[in-house]
Amino acid sequence: MTRFRSNHLVLFVLASAVFYSCTKKTDPTDPPASSNDAFKTAMLTNYADRIIIPGYSELNTNLATLETQLNGFLDKPSSATLEAARPAYKAAYLSYQSTAAAYFGPASALLYNNYLNTFPAAPTKIEQAITAGNYNFELPVVNDSIQGFPALDYLLFAPDAVEKFSGTQAVARKKYVGDVLARMKSLTANTLGQWNGAYKTTFVNSLKTDVGSSIAFLVNQFAYEADRMKGPRIGWPFGKLSNGIVFADKSEGYYSGLTKELAVANLTSLKNYFTGGSGDGIADYLVLLKKEALAQQVLTQFDVAIKAIDAIPQPMSTSFSKNPTQVDEAYRQVQKLLTLIKTDIASATSVQITYQDNDGD
Amino acid sequence: MAIKGPDMNRPVSLAPLATFRITFGLLMFGSLLRFWARGWIESSYVTPAFHFTYWGFGWVQPLRQTGMYVLFGTLIVAALLVALGLFYRVAIVVFFLGFTYVELIDVTTYLNHYYFISLVAFLLVWLPANRDCALDARFGLVQRRSQTPRWTIGILRFQMAVVYIFAGFAKLNADWLLRAEPMKTWLPAKSHLPFVGPLMYEEWVAYLFSWFGAGYDLFIVFFLLNHKTRPVAYLFVLIFHGATALFFPAIGMFPYVMILSSLIFFSGEFHTRLLSFLRFGKNYLTEKAYEFKYQKAVVYFAALYLAFQLLFPLRFVLYPGKLFWTEQGYRFSWRVMLMEKAGAAYFTVKDRTGQKSYVVDNKQHLNLLQEKMMSTQPDLILQYAHYLAKLFKAKGVAEPKVYAEVYVTLNGLPSQLFIDPTADLAAKKLSWRPYDWVSPYENKIP
Repeated sequence: MTRFRSNHLVLFVLASAVFYSCTKKTDPTDPPASSNDAFKTAMLTNYADRIIIPGYSELNTNLATLETQLNGFLDKPSSATLEAARPAYKAAYLSYQSTAAAYFGPASALLYNNYLNTFPAAPTKIEQAITAGNYNFELPVVNDSIQGFPALDYLLFAPDAVEKFSGTQAVARKKYVGDVLARMKSLTANTLGQWNGAYKTTFVNSLKTDVGSSIAFLVNQFAYEADRMKGPRIGWPFGKLSNGIVFADKSEGYYSGLTKELAVANLTSLKNYFTGGSGDGIADYLVLLKKEALAQQVLTQFDVAIKAIDAIPQPMSTSFSKNPTQVDEAYRQVQKLLTLIKTDIASATSVQITYQDNDGD
Repeated sequence: MAIKGPDMNRPVSLAPLATFRITFGLLMFGSLLRFWARGWIESSYVTPAFHFTYWGFGWVQPLRQTGMYVLFGTLIVAALLVALGLFYRVAIVVFFLGFTYVELIDVTTYLNHYYFISLVAFLLVWLPANRDCALDARFGLVQRRSQTPRWTIGILRFQMAVVYIFAGFAKLNADWLLRAEPMKTWLPAKSHLPFVGPLMYEEWVAYLFSWFGAGYDLFIVFFLLNHKTRPVAYLFVLIFHGATALFFPAIGMFPYVMILSSLIFFSGEFHTRLLSFLRFGKNYLTEKAYEFKYQKAVVYFAALYLAFQLLFPLRFVLYPGKLFWTEQGYRFSWRVMLMEKAGAAYFTVKDRTGQKSYVVDNKQHLNLLQEKMMSTQPDLILQYAHYLAKLFKAKGVAEPKVYAEVYVTLNGLPSQLFIDPTADLAAKKLSWRPYDWVSPYENKIP
């Protein structure tokens, strides 16, 4: 047996060191590495400061206004007082749409979007809850559809809504509306508070593109929201899953007749997320990656899709049956947009959608 | 590296085999624990309603929840026993069968190194890796041998060479060498790394990574085989795979598998010394080397294995069309981190008359990984279409036809139509013949 050569020993130690250090680095729970990409940091700061936080802030304010207006209606329920509250309701629901794409971080932890906007609402369950006078809004999934904007939409704008606030159940019903609104307010304030607090730092310092990184959140949310537009907002009520059988009452804002405005607001806000508004956004990141043509193509497709939805005659819920050509055109244009996001943008930004190992095919 | 000739049967130190067994066992032990800890047993094998299977292996289905966990538990114990060299033969057979079974359940979890692990486990079943530095030998369950026929080490080196050299040849394509894709797409996502971060946007860095990677894969084996260049070559192994782990952590255990497996190239003396740190009892040399009983059968069997390893990765030459597009002959061919592909797949099910039409919400049927993998791989698209046909037939749709509108982007080029949207996929059979439902790839390099 010859002597163990010293360079072998060095190698072995090196091997162990590399092995050890690399094992540590792959741990997804590690804090983000020190930031040294000025563009990405600035882009994420822009998202936080000029888009996401102002979005929650505006909704927070609008919900407070809505509460004041609704109190006027609840004090003296009538068509007139309801109409007086309608603009505040519309403003709040529309401003919700510009927070929808931030469904990660604090919002995701609180299941914010599920609680605020799971549509269609479940009228039967809502009525049962009011009758029982006992309901748990904190039960996820099961009770998502008895709260949030869709519940308000039903409670305030269903055909016989106003009368029900004067009947035998008036007190219970008013309390229910108050509880729904209070929960929306507290969830929004909580989310906004976290964004104004520690989460903003986390968000801005996360420069990777793996699952749980800010850029992956943003791009995956683009795809998710475009998919929601294609499916629940347009396709499913239009009957795409059901051989053309229309389920108009499954659409967003069905009772208040806001379906189209909400869809346009949602996609317009998503476009704003894509461009980054007045600051740098994913569109600018694509330019940095020498993908100007793609950035331009996606912007154009946003406009085409928004225009196609806008071209659907009002009320949109009726158009699902009466104007299938326009609805189908909007559906197709949204699908084109979704395709660009899921393929070209996801690829160019190399974001990942799962933690699972992948050796690149 | 022919197996015949007296040279291949010349007794050499068994120590490299023992090291290989120990590192392999420990690595598998850690790897399986990691898989479990990350919740992937649940998300990959328990939750999905549908699994993509391999051609000819459609009968492989997962066990129920408890069964899957018990199986993984068994594999973890088996891996540990392999490392210890205790009840080795039983443990490695259990490991090989169990691990391969798990990998056969769902194509979407396919990784090249899982295939490598299955192959190595298969080889280890036949090799006398528990004859030294093993509890079996220490407790006298098997007779200790310090020497083994030279080919038993050679075949593992051969397996390593196959992985590296085929991976190297796979990189010799225009996208990789001339456009530096997919590195050019992947590297800017790594701009957060300390020190090198800002360089990730530089084009020359992408070219450097591409060319260095190709050269490394093609030639590293030869430098590892030569004892003079071996220490430096191993340093390159560490640098290369260390960098891979750092830049592409999503690749998982692959770098560690290669770093440890490459030790097989070191000499018997190196391994003897290395193993002397482990106190497996006094190392008394036996004059007699380990001998295989059925020498002739071993030769034929080994020749068959070698031929398969050399030919199977080359099957892609038999297919028309672009390999990266159709992926016919892509798997089991050591194509690692070779292309960037993303897709969006929309399915519509129609009845016999084409009057009734149902769009499919993929999320209701597939998990995220499954949907992602399915969207870019034609055979998986077909399998999913067949699943949908069965599902809708059960729901009362007569003779369902399934149509797919799929768009795919490859290596940063604009997405294009991937599947013939007029083809009724329910009527297409999955076979080894060229896929006629895949739209031709159009080269749109600007």
